[in-house]
Amino acid sequence: MDTGILRTAKSRQHTAPPARADALADIVLPDSEGDDVRLGDLWSERPAALVWLRHYG
Amino acid sequence: MHCRDHAVQLHRAREEIAAEGELVLIGQASPRHSAHFRRRLHIELPVLADRDRRSYAAAGAKRATLGELVGPRSVMRGVRAGRRSGVVQGRVVGDPAQLGGAMVVRPDGSVAWSHMSEDASDNAGVAEIADALRAA
Repeated sequence: MDTGILRTAKSRQHTAPPARADALADIVLPDSEGDDVRLGDLWSERPAALVWLRHYG
Repeated sequence: MHCRDHAVQLHRAREEIAAEGELVLIGQASPRHSAHFRRRLHIELPVLADRDRRSYAAAGAKRATLGELVGPRSVMRGVRAGRRSGVVQGRVVGDPAQLGGAMVVRPDGSVAWSHMSEDASDNAGVAEIADALRAA
């Protein structure tokens, strides 16, 4: 449940990183040029670090 | 402030990190916002746009409470980071309560390491990410 002007979580949530990235692999996101990138392709040949930014501010 | 500072720190270490593996940033907005973010901060790393935050959910990222967003710990760490890097807070794009994180994935799809943020100031260090890539 959200609350307040920032729509923050009402109660403390827990992170839940997976042991495998299977659910991420088929997600396709556009890059800054608008070209689609399938996440699984990022680590198909060598390890990949994905960093999720909180926001762009 | 944390987000911009974190991105700039990663950009500055991009060559060291690239020697170990791929590095991609993901933000919760449109490609136009991603392009503006890269241009404004002079970031050469790829920035993907995840407007509906599907990848955030799949990575197990959480949304913050008010205290985790603007509590004393988060604010003080943000001020210190801003002083160190000279990067200041800009306009928030996306869900302000959405927290991020970092993950290293091996070619077989297993997650070698992850650090999902517990509050707005909790970002994995650049050295941590580089070390995790090296070990993966």
